[in-house]
Amino acid sequence: MLLTYVDAIRQALAEEMRRDPAVFLLGEDIGIYGGAFKATAGLVDEFGPARVVDTPLAESAIVGAAIGAAYTGMRPVVEMQFMDFIACCFNQITNFAAKSHYRWGAPVPMVIRGPVGGGVHGGPFHSQNPEMYFAHTPGLKVVEPATARDAYGLLKSAIRDNNPVLFLEHKFLYRRVKEEIAEDGPAIPLGVAAVARPGRDLSVITYGAMVQLALETAQALAAEGVDAEVLDLRTLAPLDRGGIVATAKKTNKVLILHEDTRTGGIAGEITAILQEEAFDDLDAPILRLTSADTPVPFSPPLEAAFLPSAEGLKAALRRLARY
Amino acid sequence: MTPSPELTAADRGANSEREWFEDLRLERHAFTIRRTRREGKVVYEWSGEITDPPPLRESGSLDRAQCLEIYRFLLMNRIMEQQLENLYKQGQVVGGVYFGLGQEGNSVASAYALDATDWMAPMIRNQGSLLVRGFAPRDVMMQYMAKAGSPTGGRDGTSHYGDLGPRRMISPISMLGDLIPVMGGICMGERLQGRNVAAMTWIGDGGQSTGVFHEAVNFAAVQNLGLVLVVENNLWAYSTPLNEQTKVADLALRARGYGIPAVVVDGTDVLQVYDACRGAVERAHGGGGPTLIESKLMRMKGHAIHDAAAYVPPELLEFWRRRDPILRFEQYLRQKGWLTAEAQQRLVAEVEQFMLAERAAAEASPMPDGNTALSGVYCEPGCHAVQPRFEAAAPALAAANGGAHLTAVEGDAPHLR
Repeated sequence: MLLTYVDAIRQALAEEMRRDPAVFLLGEDIGIYGGAFKATAGLVDEFGPARVVDTPLAESAIVGAAIGAAYTGMRPVVEMQFMDFIACCFNQITNFAAKSHYRWGAPVPMVIRGPVGGGVHGGPFHSQNPEMYFAHTPGLKVVEPATARDAYGLLKSAIRDNNPVLFLEHKFLYRRVKEEIAEDGPAIPLGVAAVARPGRDLSVITYGAMVQLALETAQALAAEGVDAEVLDLRTLAPLDRGGIVATAKKTNKVLILHEDTRTGGIAGEITAILQEEAFDDLDAPILRLTSADTPVPFSPPLEAAFLPSAEGLKAALRRLARY
Repeated sequence: MTPSPELTAADRGANSEREWFEDLRLERHAFTIRRTRREGKVVYEWSGEITDPPPLRESGSLDRAQCLEIYRFLLMNRIMEQQLENLYKQGQVVGGVYFGLGQEGNSVASAYALDATDWMAPMIRNQGSLLVRGFAPRDVMMQYMAKAGSPTGGRDGTSHYGDLGPRRMISPISMLGDLIPVMGGICMGERLQGRNVAAMTWIGDGGQSTGVFHEAVNFAAVQNLGLVLVVENNLWAYSTPLNEQTKVADLALRARGYGIPAVVVDGTDVLQVYDACRGAVERAHGGGGPTLIESKLMRMKGHAIHDAAAYVPPELLEFWRRRDPILRFEQYLRQKGWLTAEAQQRLVAEVEQFMLAERAAAEASPMPDGNTALSGVYCEPGCHAVQPRFEAAAPALAAANGGAHLTAVEGDAPHLR
């Protein structure tokens, strides 16, 4: 099947629900309406309103209910209409779910999925990348696929995982990328990065929609004789330290690219890992290209100035290549 | 503003024909607490009359053996907390200790109303409920002492533990109100597997002010979940009295805003508490949805052991001292002829002996090995099985669930018909 990123998510949900009666969905407008981005379109018809639950507009109650259901052995998948609204249920996620297994040995097999990211002029409350609040919280897993096939395979693993998993879907990709995906295809393990483009001269470590930018830029730079490797992290927690160190040891030059804002972004953590584990292999300072430390602005020229750009990435990679 | 706690707002006459509001009390607690200034200091002032309480309200559903079992749990609760206070004073406790003095009747009788297949999540003052649910006093003590043998192996303290196994108890977290949606989710998960269960938790007059309380009660109402929410109105949220927490005189009135039934009980009357909770539990088992129970009582100690509660007017304490839930229940048992003075003394001595043995066991547990701090953040493959138990009836019950909120569109809430 040729599936877009959002179709792949729906396909994974449906297959997991068919495979395992413990999987059920809850969220706002996910039933008859099929979700704000139609990620759950048609699922209520196949699985019924008891397993595709339209909830009141109450993020804490939704996540709390998912935690409770998970304690009884179910595998709830929560949709956040926009991941920006995850701030409303921060306590349920970081204090209830994340600490549960550590404190009293009670696993919380739960997925919270929904759209993140900018580039679609959504403004300050419909464009954010909240991954680092959660990557910083022990007990949570944080996943952000960059391709349709990864969205499909990683979501399957997230649903089968016995821990709370935040599954961040980049809304810019929902209908912009598509891939051939086999029915009942394999799950892709969490915590394993993928080399999206092999290269010899330098490495771009990135994830989410920025993988597309990195691939396009790498293609453009190939004409200039710069052979860039692109490492797609796919999972931010747990982070694939081995994959990160391996690409640095291979190319000896690293740029970390993310759409999240700069301060406290995953780039800082990756930089620290490379200092600790690959210092002798580095031929250049580690660079980072990120969004600016501002809220996500609404107007297209403002948002363009906020986000990492192709030109900015090209310039940074040329600089890195010169070392 | 009407000063509160003044038990006048629930107009029993006007509400009596409505099924949604039931008041089991035999007396109104007529007093007020007012903030005023005395000799340059801001203080709370009492006005009212210190009266004696009426006898308990006859239950009719609890027999002699059950009542004596409840009485034993009440004694265990109180004597255990006396031992906790001793442990604290001897420096054997890490951090603070929280007490439920004056609230034991509510903690024990509410938890006693649950079936073994129901679920429960305690709050900090419900240590009696832990005993009813099958945890031992040594577990409670070791949690406070941060011992290796504690239910969390020293990873957390106080009543922050649970058991997904036979005791079906969910661990609370410190943030108030956050247990409520989780308990609703328990009912949802169980129903998807083919069982209507009750899930009980407690919240205080302070915790009821949180946003998640509102979200969760509304969610449980709309989804028709068997939540049994006992609102312990103990008049103080740390140092803040009820009338600075809310303008609602009877916290149970809030249930009307969610379209769910409510019951008000005297929280020092064990039999009222049991009857209200058992009714709610049975409603949950029948698929009748959530119930809110307001239990009026008094926190007879400070917020925690460090808090002398000097802000509480002494008359208020005297008023409630006369309503000690254990003494009131004792009198009931005596009048029924179910407990002689000799039997009572024997039982107290037996529980005291038992508690000393529990304490010795708790003291004997070592402190945890520091290295154990680093494991268990994630549930790794093989460490815990996540195992739903589907009943044959699961699809039917799940379908009824889907229909539950559709009926609400057609008319009034199901319980009003």
